[in-house]
Amino acid sequence: MRKVGMRLSGAIGLFALALSFALPAPGAEVKAESLRGPRIGELYMVVVRDPDAAVLALERGKLDVLGDVTRPSDIRRISKNTGFDLSMAQGFHMAQVGFNLRKSPWNAPELRRAAAMAIPRDRLVRELFSGYSAPLTTYLPPLSPYCDKAASAPRFDPEGARALLGKAGWTWDSSGVLVPPKGKSPLPPATILSPTAGVAPTTAELADRIAGSLREIGIPVKAEPLDFAAMIQRIDEHKFDLYLMAWQLSRDPDSLYAFYHSSMDVKGGYNQTGLKDAKVDRLLEDLRYVPDEPAARVAAKAAQKALADRIPIIPIYTRFSVAAVSKGWKGTVSTKSMTADNSWSLLSMSPASGPMKPLYWALGDEPRTLNPFTASTATDWQVLGMVYDTLLTVNPNDLGDLPWLARSWKVETVKDPGGRHTRLTFALRRDVFWQDGSPFTAKDARATLLFLKKNAIPRYFDSVRDIASVSVPDAHTLVVTMKNVSYWHLHSIGGTPIFPAALLGRVKDWRSWQPARNSVPGKAGLTELYGTGPFVFREVRPGDYVRFSRNERFWLIPR
Amino acid sequence: MRRFRWSAWALLLLLFSGFVLPLFLVGDPREPVASPFARPAWVGRNQPPALAFSVPPGEGKAFAWSWDAPRGLSVSGEVEFAGVPGAARLTWETPSGEILVLADLSGQETATLDLDARDMAFRASLGLSPFDESLEGLFDGRGTIRVRIESDVPVEKSSLSVRIPGDRWGLFGTDQRGRDVFRLFLAGIRVSLLVGVLAVLVSTVIGLSAGLLGGYVGGVVDALLMRAVDVLLSIPLLPILMVLAALWGKGLWQLVLILGLFSWMGTARTVRSMTLSFREAPYVEALRAIGAPTFYILARHGVPTVLPLLLANIALGVPGVILSEAALAYLGLSDPRVISWGRMLHEAQSFGAFTTGAWWLLLPPGLGIALLCFVFMDLGRALEEWADPRLKGGGGA
Amino acid sequence: MRGYWARRLGGAACVVAIVLVANFFLFRLMPGDPVSTVLDPRFSPQAKAELEALYGLDRPLAVQFLIYLERTATFDFGLSFATQRPVLDEILSRLPNTLALLVPAYLLSVLLGTALGVLAARRRGRAAEKAVLSAGAISFSFPSFFVQMVLLLVFAYVFPVFPLRGSLSIPPPQGTWPLLADRVWHLALPIGSLVLLGFGGWALTVRNLVVKVMGEDFMVLARAKGIGERRLFWGHAFRAVLPPLVTLFLLSLPGVVSGAVLTETVFSLHGVGRFLLDSVLGQDYPAAGGAFYLLTLITVASNLLADFLVQFTDPRIRTGERTST
Repeated sequence: MRKVGMRLSGAIGLFALALSFALPAPGAEVKAESLRGPRIGELYMVVVRDPDAAVLALERGKLDVLGDVTRPSDIRRISKNTGFDLSMAQGFHMAQVGFNLRKSPWNAPELRRAAAMAIPRDRLVRELFSGYSAPLTTYLPPLSPYCDKAASAPRFDPEGARALLGKAGWTWDSSGVLVPPKGKSPLPPATILSPTAGVAPTTAELADRIAGSLREIGIPVKAEPLDFAAMIQRIDEHKFDLYLMAWQLSRDPDSLYAFYHSSMDVKGGYNQTGLKDAKVDRLLEDLRYVPDEPAARVAAKAAQKALADRIPIIPIYTRFSVAAVSKGWKGTVSTKSMTADNSWSLLSMSPASGPMKPLYWALGDEPRTLNPFTASTATDWQVLGMVYDTLLTVNPNDLGDLPWLARSWKVETVKDPGGRHTRLTFALRRDVFWQDGSPFTAKDARATLLFLKKNAIPRYFDSVRDIASVSVPDAHTLVVTMKNVSYWHLHSIGGTPIFPAALLGRVKDWRSWQPARNSVPGKAGLTELYGTGPFVFREVRPGDYVRFSRNERFWLIPR
Repeated sequence: MRRFRWSAWALLLLLFSGFVLPLFLVGDPREPVASPFARPAWVGRNQPPALAFSVPPGEGKAFAWSWDAPRGLSVSGEVEFAGVPGAARLTWETPSGEILVLADLSGQETATLDLDARDMAFRASLGLSPFDESLEGLFDGRGTIRVRIESDVPVEKSSLSVRIPGDRWGLFGTDQRGRDVFRLFLAGIRVSLLVGVLAVLVSTVIGLSAGLLGGYVGGVVDALLMRAVDVLLSIPLLPILMVLAALWGKGLWQLVLILGLFSWMGTARTVRSMTLSFREAPYVEALRAIGAPTFYILARHGVPTVLPLLLANIALGVPGVILSEAALAYLGLSDPRVISWGRMLHEAQSFGAFTTGAWWLLLPPGLGIALLCFVFMDLGRALEEWADPRLKGGGGA
Repeated sequence: MRGYWARRLGGAACVVAIVLVANFFLFRLMPGDPVSTVLDPRFSPQAKAELEALYGLDRPLAVQFLIYLERTATFDFGLSFATQRPVLDEILSRLPNTLALLVPAYLLSVLLGTALGVLAARRRGRAAEKAVLSAGAISFSFPSFFVQMVLLLVFAYVFPVFPLRGSLSIPPPQGTWPLLADRVWHLALPIGSLVLLGFGGWALTVRNLVVKVMGEDFMVLARAKGIGERRLFWGHAFRAVLPPLVTLFLLSLPGVVSGAVLTETVFSLHGVGRFLLDSVLGQDYPAAGGAFYLLTLITVASNLLADFLVQFTDPRIRTGERTST
């Protein structure tokens, strides 16, 4: 599941985490103007892949911040140590059981509803995760502002499940297996696919337990752990009954389109269940191309209700994340949606006492590549997020939008002979400089968007594909006109990291570009891996650490 | 009078423990029996054992407590009142006399409880931080603890039971899931023996056939077989095992096959050289002269000639296979549903045995592997000596 | 003689060819491909198609094979799926770490093992010999990673003498000597454990060889001639032991490689062995294929080298029909 989580977090969820700069302390609303930082002079992101070594390094003072502590035994050990602060947050993680709606008996809605009622989420969460997860019943992450708690999967009620099936005409044979209405023979044995215990141990066990729960009401299911790639292949080929998979989503509900729209039931698409419902399609299209925020809320609610009625998947649980920070540092920021290991903390942290010292931050894996065009793992973006900024950022309290490189913005729908278009107008900050000293202007944003679009870089493809034109009326205004109408373009464009135009002009082959290895002529210590971000990349030692130093020109540092 | 070697005794003991003993033990080794990472029973004196008792109506249940705070607690069951209580609660009196409320039972004629210390809600209700799994608030010393149902309406029936999973268990403690390590260890004997012996048998059959055939028939057949041996010997063993395990799936039988396929070369060479000399023996020539078919000669005479050394080869080959399987399992490339010692070591490292200091998860499987290898090496040597008495004596080399 | 070498090299080339082809199909047969495992709901099918083109996965198999052959000849193993960097670069960047681990460990265990084996052979029947025999038996039986895990537990967790992981402290110390010392301190446990596990086998082998050689006829003759024990041993016995020892030294090189995989995993070292494991687990088949191919080349090369060098150390062995051992 770790691997799945890492890969999944590519474009979506990790933009939110790595690039979001959360301001407020827990609970309190703090305005952006009141934050000053970063104060840390030197930052080391240390590669520690082994959780044991990470915990012990933390205890011995070799690490100051350790995020994503997953093992309950580690949490227990750290919590006993009074030298550390632990923070916990719900995330955007969602583990679900998917049905193959193309196949009988899974296309029978009452069977799916009964199956959803047969799963004891509370007990599973308690026994498998020692409580560090929460049962999930919604189709969007509970943290998302668009999540409709009313549109949820049915509660655990095995007797109710049996009653429901009985009323619909199902019977049970002598060995307790369900027999479809008007059918002669009981259901054939089915399997639920899951990643293997090597990759995702608790997921594999969870699949086992879920299969057991389903057998209790007469659905003959057994767990079938598979190599992840093999599992994906089976799902792509539609040769499955059920599967258990975890996703890392984001605050925006338009991902529902990818999961449940019938046009996404193609190879490479995410409609793995094969849901083909005209009403759902229409609602999802409405949601995807909604023009503004209030309409988005209405559309999201309608879409979720339709999904809750149909139960194409059964939500199971959502994982909490836990992070530990040494008490030797103060100024960390944590909210209910973000543990202390976030970029806001990095902006405001300073030693609790004594002089400034370097901060040692744990990376759970080695960054695979430091090329922002090809980097896809969560770890890569934890590193790159220090260097690059986006136009907007995410408010960690209510997950709304906060100004970042853009001071303010406007979303309008404009009409022209070609149809209706969403037009985004961003007013950019005037006090931002690139780490090489040159000023940041709207031309850089324009160059970035056009570069990504022209080169059809897979990672950014869907964000920039619908751009019709980008114009720069003056040095600090950016106007992006899209080919169609959708409120979500604001987040796609607003969440894209901005690269310097001067550098983009020099990149000959974005695939093989290695910015970390090329130094910038005339600027000592600066490599081509530079942006407008709070930290300047200095050095990477593969397998050991990545080193940054403070960007003295960062626009939140008081002059 | 031949002394029965210690390794033969050891092998019998292992066979018994692995195959016979589990038949008499109830339950599935995969089921949790105690707290995760519980110590072996003979180690921790201050850790509490497993306890379970019911809470009757009225005076409730009082029990003595003389250990450290446990790491788990669950209370479940039903309470039936004679009417609808206005105020009813489940209380817990700690050894130091403090009274805590575990649950509020008011307002329902039949109250169902399912409390567990792992639930965040439970910790919150006791005022604990979500990370604090310690129940030191409930078990704040040594003394007597009383659990009671208090209500303003009499209690008719109570099926409430309190369960404390022990922090000490069995011979080898428990793993990160709370499973009995000793049971897992026994299960591992079977897997190691099966994989070891079967893989070596596979490789022996292949090696025997290849060696006999090549050595006896000679010519193109021999050249081809020896070429195959060269190719296979040029492939580094662990990497190819890793690649094939990842590629072919990690089932037990695939593993046996793969291990067998890459271990036959040595046997083939030995058998081949023995066959070369066997071929020139007078009685074999005689057999050929009278027209005996090749297969007959090889099966009826060739095999018995090489058999003694072959048995030694089998025994000496088992440790290599067991170590390869253990290495693959440790790297995470074995079937996760199969409990093997290598797998236990892998899970020990992945699930925090180091930080927990759970040495009882590391030592038994590792020492078990070593013991098994020792046993087979000694047996192999014994067989070698029996097959070729010249090797006997002189330091047992 | 030339004929023999032609055959030997031809044989080796044959082996490499077979491995090359098998390597290609082995990895292509793996289910799924890196594109399908990128699960990100923002990645539309079109975006995935772009990614496939990027990896070259949309060409027919035959074309892919030809490209593969052509590239492997130049050691161009393609780009790693995970990092998008050339596989060769990835391997070369890790090679120094692996060599820094394996070369000292191997040399030390051979030297230590040989010394102890000789000791045991010369003091037959006494305690030293028994100790060496037991050490040999033990080193064959204990799983290497288990011993390493126990050492790590004791000397890095329980008694924090050695570091927990990695090859350098963070931040690394300045200056050549402190840096060197830091590296040595980090490699102490890994190398130490490898030597501990390796010397026993060597000692046993050396001891057996020496014992065998000491009993040979030419030794009896030498003794009858009245040559002193010391000169007997170093002058005659050792010279006879050397060729099989060198052969064995070279032939066990490939086995050392396997040791690297496990050691680097236990101690979290940034080496080629770990790279192979990560690539295999991550279905990064250009990387796994490249690493595997190189390891096989090393094996073939060391076998060839062993055959070659034996000529010089042992004049008795001349090129003839290759007999089976």
